[in-house]
Amino acid sequence: MLFNSLSFVVFLVIVLALYYSKLFNWTNKKRMLLFASYVFYGMWNPPLIILLWISTVVDWITGNKLSTEENQRKRKLWLLLSMFVNLGFLAFFKYRDFLLDNFTTVVNSYGYGYQTQPMDIILPMGISFYTFQTMSYTIDMYLKRTEKAKTFLDFALYVTFFPQLVAGPIVRAGELISQFYEEKRATINQFIWGLFLLTIGLFQKVVLADTLLSDTADSVFGSKSILHGLDAWVGTLAFSGQIFFDFAGYSTCAIGIALMLGIILPDNFRYPYAAIGFSDLWRRWHISLSTWLRDYLYIPLGGSKHGVVRMYSALMITMLLGGLWHGAAWTFVIWGALHGIYLVVERMLKGKIHIKINAFNGILLAFLTYTLVNFTWVFFRAREFSTAMNMITSMLFINGDGEKILQPFEIIKVLALITILFICHWMMRNTSMKAVSEKTSPWVLGIVWAFMFLLIAIAQGSGEQFIYFQF
Amino acid sequence: MNLKQALIVAVTLSVVSIVAWEAYWRSQGKIPDLDDDKNLWAVQRAKAEGASTQDVVLLGSSRVLFDIQLNEWEKETGVRPIQLASAGASPLPTFHDIVNNTDFTGTVIVGVTPGLFFSTTFPEASPMSRAQNRVDYYEDRTYAQRLNHWLSLPLQKNLVFVSTSEEGWTDDIDLKSLLNRIDLGNRTGKPEFPPFYAFQYIEEDRNNPMSERTATDTVFANSIKKVWKAIITSNTNPPDKESTTKFFAADAEKFLKRGGNLILLRCPSSGWLKGGEDKFLPRAEFWDYLVKTTNAKAYYYEDYEQFKDLTCPEWSHLSAPDARYFTSELVKIMKADGALSNTKSN
Repeated sequence: MLFNSLSFVVFLVIVLALYYSKLFNWTNKKRMLLFASYVFYGMWNPPLIILLWISTVVDWITGNKLSTEENQRKRKLWLLLSMFVNLGFLAFFKYRDFLLDNFTTVVNSYGYGYQTQPMDIILPMGISFYTFQTMSYTIDMYLKRTEKAKTFLDFALYVTFFPQLVAGPIVRAGELISQFYEEKRATINQFIWGLFLLTIGLFQKVVLADTLLSDTADSVFGSKSILHGLDAWVGTLAFSGQIFFDFAGYSTCAIGIALMLGIILPDNFRYPYAAIGFSDLWRRWHISLSTWLRDYLYIPLGGSKHGVVRMYSALMITMLLGGLWHGAAWTFVIWGALHGIYLVVERMLKGKIHIKINAFNGILLAFLTYTLVNFTWVFFRAREFSTAMNMITSMLFINGDGEKILQPFEIIKVLALITILFICHWMMRNTSMKAVSEKTSPWVLGIVWAFMFLLIAIAQGSGEQFIYFQF
Repeated sequence: MNLKQALIVAVTLSVVSIVAWEAYWRSQGKIPDLDDDKNLWAVQRAKAEGASTQDVVLLGSSRVLFDIQLNEWEKETGVRPIQLASAGASPLPTFHDIVNNTDFTGTVIVGVTPGLFFSTTFPEASPMSRAQNRVDYYEDRTYAQRLNHWLSLPLQKNLVFVSTSEEGWTDDIDLKSLLNRIDLGNRTGKPEFPPFYAFQYIEEDRNNPMSERTATDTVFANSIKKVWKAIITSNTNPPDKESTTKFFAADAEKFLKRGGNLILLRCPSSGWLKGGEDKFLPRAEFWDYLVKTTNAKAYYYEDYEQFKDLTCPEWSHLSAPDARYFTSELVKIMKADGALSNTKSN
């Protein structure tokens, strides 16, 4: 079920009505939420709920064993079992064809005529998100960093909680399970603020991403021609805006919906296009994934505590695997590699160049960061490596004679919107929407809210899927 | 900050602005209309699953969609056909789907618009992909998509401002379409496609009459003619008679063998378009060859006195009254021939 759909509106109204009715006690409300979460997921593809159940049961059992088992060898075996099941699902559903393709290519490069039939397996929606979420629980249990969930119901709801089930934020057990222990009701202000966040999230997705930016990005990245530099840049900028509004929109909706139920989810984006440098970027973009990768991959690989070479290696491996997490294709690996290289270079330069950030050089450095990020988006968006290379050469104005495919209004629309996006991020860099809204008159807030709602209503859209669902 | 006050302001302004938006578009002559999208198509496609030998499935492109009126067909036969024709699409993928993915053994009427039917079998080409996308959507649609469609129908039927279209008509009023109308010049150097306005209304079971304006307003009809000219003159691909006929004939053979009743139908066209069809896709070379190869029952409108005076206001489709007449008369002819009885008389 998509947040930007009529069925979700009906679903949410029913869930809220049941949640705030006096029909159920807290345990039954949690059962209702769990059932609603399975309905939310099953409306897409019911049989794939079984995967969720398996993940839930395996990690519940593992967590229980890890909470009582003291034998280190057995503890490790339980951890490995959980990782084998979770990563096994991920490997089978997400990476099987990719691995098989590459295996075939390598084997055939030695002259074997090996042929494989791609299985075209359906990718379970949100598998990368809920797999990482359940794994974080088990790893934290293994490392004794979190308490065992009190009941199976609390744990199952943690794995399946519908607002963040399919596209995050990837929430740690400590942040969410404990919220289920006591009855939660949103205060009236929390409820209204949640509704406001839901409106902003839908506005970002339906109006900004789908209506204003997606067509430009699609036509540029779908073009088979070598493009004019301006067209390549505008298409890439459009995608940079589209993916931000799409994904941040989903996270904002998720946080808002959870808040309407009195549940607090962590921020997932903090105005990332105002980041100064790449360490800063990853503290602002998809925060729940970047902290997951930091805690469960980068630090176990050695982090910054074992010398420069190990640190750079850990960074590169983390970012390469982070790229692969997004999709089973070499273009995603290159996207991750570029971010890894950016981070390594930044750390090398930081030791040698010391810049005191002020408003003037800060915005220039943020602009430089954003420009470099756009080169990575090319690999993220392009379906073929050749398309990405053509785009990069066009963006570097190496193809003097590229084809012009965008009309003037499209270019102005994208450039205007991206400029506003960048300036807004810069202005919001050190604050939050909540803080700004508290200083805003209720009239102004109401007018902005109504304007966003009107645009959502007249944009409608065809219920486009959120980009991150595929990951 | 008073969030309650902000909410009251937002709700009030939202209601006022949406009512004003709706009133504005109604004042501009817009009326609530359904979108002939993949959802509407899929609901009809589902009907073919349990259809009996008495049922009739209509396939083809927009000519069958406009020219066969379901009410008249039902009046004449007592059976309401399942309308699965799609504008701008080849019937090959849809017929392939009906033959290979259902057990249907009733009557299938396949409209043959020569420029689309004989265009190509290349899956990525527009006539094939437009039809195949709908077939795929039917196969893959989720329960959420079904529910969304079901919930959207009352809104589409009653509100103008929610009307939008999969086709992307020039006069659509969703935000994206409104913005797309802003023209600040042409930097691509490519000829711009003429505006393409919606010229029909569609009902829930995809009964699709031409709008009265198209039949009575010559200037409006001419705007549609310009679109046909632009589409046809910009198409540099030659027809692929052999592949398309072979593709269709294989499915036709399978369908006839299992006892299905297959009827080919050539609907009227007029003016410049008809001239082009006669010149580049002549009947003897294309239609007659198809009929001979498939061994199906076949109806070519020009063979019947009743249809000789029918004129398409925009060259390609009949006006609503003419379509009603065409349907009634066609059914009478078919009944007189015994073509609608599902016997192996092919």
